[in-house]
Amino acid sequence: MSKPKISIQNVSLSYYSFNQGVNSIKDIFTGLNFSKPFEKHEVVHSVSMEIMPGEVVGILGKNGVGKSTLLKAVAGMIKPSFGKIEVDGKVAPILAIGAGIEMELTGYENIKLLVSLMGSKIGKLKEMMPKIVGFSELSDEELNRPVKTYSTGMLSRLSFSIGVAQDPDILIIDEVLAVGDMGFQQKCMARIEEIKNSGSTILFVSHNIDEVKKICSKAALLGNNTLLEFGDIDNVAQTYLNTFH
Amino acid sequence: MLNTESYNLLFNLAKRNIKLKYKNSILGFFWSFLTPLVYLLIFYFVFSTAFASVENYALYVLTGLVYWQFFANTTNEIIVSFISNSGIIKTINVPVLAFPVSALISELGSLFLTFLPFLTLMYYLGYSPGIAFFAVIPVTILLAIFSLGLALFLGTLNVYLRDISILWNTLNPALFYLTPIAYTVDLIPEKFHWILKLNPLWYYFEAVRASLYSNSWPLGVTWLYMLAISFLTFALGWFTFKKLQPGIISNV
Repeated sequence: MSKPKISIQNVSLSYYSFNQGVNSIKDIFTGLNFSKPFEKHEVVHSVSMEIMPGEVVGILGKNGVGKSTLLKAVAGMIKPSFGKIEVDGKVAPILAIGAGIEMELTGYENIKLLVSLMGSKIGKLKEMMPKIVGFSELSDEELNRPVKTYSTGMLSRLSFSIGVAQDPDILIIDEVLAVGDMGFQQKCMARIEEIKNSGSTILFVSHNIDEVKKICSKAALLGNNTLLEFGDIDNVAQTYLNTFH
Repeated sequence: MLNTESYNLLFNLAKRNIKLKYKNSILGFFWSFLTPLVYLLIFYFVFSTAFASVENYALYVLTGLVYWQFFANTTNEIIVSFISNSGIIKTINVPVLAFPVSALISELGSLFLTFLPFLTLMYYLGYSPGIAFFAVIPVTILLAIFSLGLALFLGTLNVYLRDISILWNTLNPALFYLTPIAYTVDLIPEKFHWILKLNPLWYYFEAVRASLYSNSWPLGVTWLYMLAISFLTFALGWFTFKKLQPGIISNV
């Protein structure tokens, strides 16, 4: 038995908001609870799962059950308020379409910026640039234009191309495939398949159950602020579908 | 903490800050040079007769304005740096400290790039650089540390209380006139000096003036004040940031 790629042990995730939506100094004078300025909101409670190398896991659940929060925790952006998350390898999270894209800058400038935001070394860009440009199928002229002139589809092409250009050990995809034309969607699925076949682990969030079934071997179902079921994709997908009936 | 990846990240973010600031403006980066120049002309026409007793008033005001612009821009940019980058903070795993630090770097870069034209201008206004010129380097570093500490403190709180950035913008002109930039200290009655000295900027501007205006090395006591103020302010900003950092991602 090999070591798990992602090990989530008894994890609870919370966020802290400033007391009762205090957003101005006026609210301080009209009654701020100084003894407890922050309010804790628990999003996910006591989740445990182990994900092995090469496994592709779909995360299912209704809106607002904490799917994205869990992904952010795996990506290391949020620390669990309880429990432990161990991740073995480099994580590439694609958490939103157009994440970090600067509308006023050109396509090329955005590629440079985002590659550095994702923590790549200086020399790496030269090697990644042709890959990103090739995958996006955007023309030289388009990439020299400010991104604010792009259509939503073009934006998602650029965004997704940057996200999958690095060869990550763990790829996290959060509902970003919905846009883009059919050709590009198929290309994205093919690339995900390729990353999967290279032995990387993938966490995949989508509300398109057929898509999830096609690429995932396992699934986790979140609901009632906790993990309801984790296991073989077909069983979990069935439970998920049953919750709507 | 500081490896080649983070240098790359900070450098690219700083470059983006400068690009975005002057995007779609014809004169672009020249504005960093022009803004103090416009102020200089205003102050010169308004005050040069009133402050006729000040020797070489134009040079005096210019040295103050260059550093005031650095301080005001740096603090204003850093205070909103978490909020204006909320899109990145929420979706990409980037250390959030990169945003205030890159804002400081881009402002230091602007200051550095405008320094040569300003120095030329100062030369024409009658400044003859001596050995005391080099004092401006550590003074700039100390002022940068002070600005970062202060703005990190205010900027972290601003994530939770958005009034702070608005309040800071409103207080900016007051602070400007509380600092001897357009006027000299000896125009103020001695009995009010203690009030002016409560303003931490007093010491930095005194040191800048010593180096760039009166061609003398800043006094030892001024260095001590600057060191103490920079260190304490940075510590305040750092601990506030450390304490409130976990909440930033869900509150920006």
